[in-house]
Amino acid sequence: MPEVALVQAINLALAHAMAADDRVLVLGEDVAVNGGVFRATDGLLQRFGPRRVIDTPLAELLIAGMSVGLAAEGFRPVAEIQFTGFIYPTLDQIVNHASRLRNRTRGRLTCPMVLRSPCGGGVHAPEHHSESPEAMFAHVPGLRVVIPSSPSAAYGLLLAAIRDPDPVIFLEPTRLYRSLKEEISDDGTALPLDACFTLRDGRDLTFVTWGAMTRDVLAAAEALAADGVAATVIDVATLKPLDMQTILASVEKTGRCVIVHEAPLTAGFGAEIAARLAEHGLTSLLAPVQRVAGYDTVMPLPRLETHYIPGQSRILAAARRTLEFA
Amino acid sequence: MKTFALPDLGEGLHEAEIVAWHVSVGDHVVADQPLVSVETEKAVVEIPAPWSGHIAKLNGRPGDRVTIGTTLVEYEENAATDAGTVVGALPKGEAAASAASNEVAGERVPTGVKATPAIRALARKLGVELGAIAPSGAEGLITRADVERAARSLSEAGPPEPLRGVRRAMAGSMTRSHAEVVPATLGDEADVDAWPAGADTTVRLVRAIVAACRAEPALNAWYDGKAVARRLHQKVDLAIAMDTGDGLFAPVLRNVQARDAADLRRGLEAMKKDVLARTVPLEELRGATITLSNFGTLGGRHAVLVVVPPQVAIVGAGRIAPAIVAVDGQPAVRRRLPLSLTFDHRAATGGEAARFLGAMIADLQRKD
Amino acid sequence: MATVASFEIAYRQFLDPEGRVTGTLPEFARDPAALLPLYRAMVWTRTFDAKAVSLQRTGRLGTYPPCLGQEAVGVGVASAMRPEDVLFPSYRDQAAQLWRGVTAVEILLYWGGDGRGSAFTGAAPRDFPICVPVSSQTLHAVGAALAMKLRDERRVAVCCLGDGATSKGDFYESINLAGAMQLPAVFIIANNQWAISVPRSAQSGAQTLAQKAIAAGLPGEQVDGNDIVAVTDAARRAIDTARAGGGGAVIEALTYRLGDHTTVDDARRYREDTEVSRQWELEPIVRVRKYLTVAGAWSKADEERLLAESTAEVNAAVEEYLATKPEPPAAMFDHLYEKLPAELGAQRQEASGEAGGHA
Repeated sequence: MPEVALVQAINLALAHAMAADDRVLVLGEDVAVNGGVFRATDGLLQRFGPRRVIDTPLAELLIAGMSVGLAAEGFRPVAEIQFTGFIYPTLDQIVNHASRLRNRTRGRLTCPMVLRSPCGGGVHAPEHHSESPEAMFAHVPGLRVVIPSSPSAAYGLLLAAIRDPDPVIFLEPTRLYRSLKEEISDDGTALPLDACFTLRDGRDLTFVTWGAMTRDVLAAAEALAADGVAATVIDVATLKPLDMQTILASVEKTGRCVIVHEAPLTAGFGAEIAARLAEHGLTSLLAPVQRVAGYDTVMPLPRLETHYIPGQSRILAAARRTLEFA
Repeated sequence: MKTFALPDLGEGLHEAEIVAWHVSVGDHVVADQPLVSVETEKAVVEIPAPWSGHIAKLNGRPGDRVTIGTTLVEYEENAATDAGTVVGALPKGEAAASAASNEVAGERVPTGVKATPAIRALARKLGVELGAIAPSGAEGLITRADVERAARSLSEAGPPEPLRGVRRAMAGSMTRSHAEVVPATLGDEADVDAWPAGADTTVRLVRAIVAACRAEPALNAWYDGKAVARRLHQKVDLAIAMDTGDGLFAPVLRNVQARDAADLRRGLEAMKKDVLARTVPLEELRGATITLSNFGTLGGRHAVLVVVPPQVAIVGAGRIAPAIVAVDGQPAVRRRLPLSLTFDHRAATGGEAARFLGAMIADLQRKD
Repeated sequence: MATVASFEIAYRQFLDPEGRVTGTLPEFARDPAALLPLYRAMVWTRTFDAKAVSLQRTGRLGTYPPCLGQEAVGVGVASAMRPEDVLFPSYRDQAAQLWRGVTAVEILLYWGGDGRGSAFTGAAPRDFPICVPVSSQTLHAVGAALAMKLRDERRVAVCCLGDGATSKGDFYESINLAGAMQLPAVFIIANNQWAISVPRSAQSGAQTLAQKAIAAGLPGEQVDGNDIVAVTDAARRAIDTARAGGGGAVIEALTYRLGDHTTVDDARRYREDTEVSRQWELEPIVRVRKYLTVAGAWSKADEERLLAESTAEVNAAVEEYLATKPEPPAAMFDHLYEKLPAELGAQRQEASGEAGGHA
């Protein structure tokens, strides 16, 4: 089996989905001839032709809105927004239409579209290219929000997202695009949506995270293990709908929870998880839930970005606080 | 109120039938806007509004025949008020928002126990009272180790025995006393060497208390802390503290100031019998104006006792024993009766207590 | 200097406000009888519209946007569509929707605050529901048009929008794609001269709204939007061309919003009654009645019968609407996803049990 990076896994999943279902379309800026600025759609035009892989004009609102029209007419559009910094114009169409079409037509019209976009920082990119907007989308009823943390997760979750009958926002961690490789069997096996993945089991503390931070959290768990602390690492993967059961079951065992996300702290998705822990898992907690997150500042330019993105010391410090609490 | 009547439609017609209204009550119409379609012999005619304005009333329904000159439409005089929106309806209210205080609310009095919910649950499970634990965590946080340690001590101590009946009542009344009374204690001794053999100590003490109440009635009173008022009693209803296997009883000997020694002795015997048989009626345990604790019969000389509100005094009599005292400048062995008077200083002064005690001693020191 | 591009915007009218023929009538309209169904539909729409306003005034309907004066645009456009075409309406296209098979009960349910109003159980199962965020429906139309082209279908996406909607990026991005990809998307601008209180003159510096098509590489034309013949003619030509693979078009239909923006708006705050009175002289229904009457195709009895029938039918729809019980609170959770996620089960339960809710 080949070892592939995350962005290649995306490519494999798209190709597999398009071969299996001719309703699947890829559209966006520079996705066809150029194969996508990150090469996520590389080779698809050559293989499936211009009726399946479409270069759109430079218009994000259009990309999202036309996807609604395409989806209502029975296609399964997988639209790319080149960077999440440019995803905001799509909010009108995603919030006002994609997320509601099924509901407001009582199921008569549906919107099985996927909006995929590279998110997060750590790639020395210019301004506006390092956004983490997942909490904004997670706040919208009727949407799914999915963030893979590895090549295999990207492959399996994207397939699931494309096959899902409802709209999915699929955010791909840019700094993971090429940084790690995994063996992937390109057999079309999807991963379950609406489910967390426990990547590591340990009885002393529960890490809850998603996206690129998952790698950093796994590294922190290793470091803790060297100190005799066994940490569980849960990759949320599907933020919405949230599989709280898995998180609660783990915290019931460990009594300590550290939530780690790159997006800014206030009103980040970690707040939702912390609130649900307080609601349903309070008596299991041995220490307050910790959130390690980006600061409530604008994502800085590359020189400072490593200070913004939570590093090992901040993650480990939070872990220690829960262990030393009482 | 402007009205618009069915105009002459020509062709010598007197009336027309309403076919359909084109406006509704409440509409703002403009001049020349079709108001209604009416049927005449020749045609269906649309009648336009003569003026702009608000429709207040439409006269007639489709199918009705209307005579020329009859009022068709009534216009409102006053214009509609501005809804202040283009969608929905904004709730209107006259009431001012209640002056929500922006002051910081009074500080919450902390209960003093800091523990996470998991630790609280653990404490409950192990039957440990959090308030009884000395916390070892930062800033007074109770840790798991603290709870487990407390649980171990408890298990070594054996299961808790809930207090019942008289013991429970004593715990309650002592707690109340502690919360209300401001106690002060005065002690002294009476020389009872002159007493004849076989003297009835309790009766002598009762008589001495009566004398003291007469001399200083301030200590035979009830005090009401809420009303800040005292009630001096003429009668002396004396509670006698009795120690039994079941606990402390304090039945009341009524009206002792009016009874002779024999009567008092009879009363005491009856009381003792009833208490031991647990047949003392409830009223006999209530309403004392002052209490006597003759603890000396069990042991001990001096004591700081507990005033039972609403009473303001309790007399404690210790063990009568010979002691070497100075008599006329020379050491002599005399039988001495120690007395402890604890009083509620909210209601009585030290002077009153001293005079009371002095009067008791004076009476006790008589031969009979 | 050479001129590399220029444009012309044509204007067409066939019936003047008095119902007189002002140009050579197009083929389909030569027989006056061909206009009868269109006339009936316009009258029915107006009867319904007036009744809806009346219901709102009596507290039995929520906020409602009257389409008074715009009946010809809707009926003309919808009549030029085939069942397999798809309509993307704004929120003032009752005339087109009624022609397409959306029931009066459904329209009343929607504005009465019941989500079942957008279920469209009747004809036109692929038509989009009304669209509140102005102009956002243009993007759906162009996406659907792309779907049709990708499948080589002989279907057309027809989008109705107002003059205000042409100011939005949504519109520009949509016509741009339609032009760039030669998509079967026809955009009907019902220019009723007012976007709430903003007059057409303040909406754009362009001489016509139709010429925005030129910037997208699409043909654009203006018609008298109160002339049912002109509207139907332009719509047919554009839709037929699109169906045949000739790409999209923009049609600007000049009309007037004779009512308020919504039943809660008071247009007197920003426009003169005298202007509205003048516009009443140009309204679409009278001229057709006059034309048909003069042509001998319409009698007094016909008019009476039509008014009585449409009133009765509208009233029947109103009765049915008023008798419809509200959905249970749990309906909020229906059709949220194909399958309600487990995490929402508790909320649905709570909503089912709760009596009353927020005052």
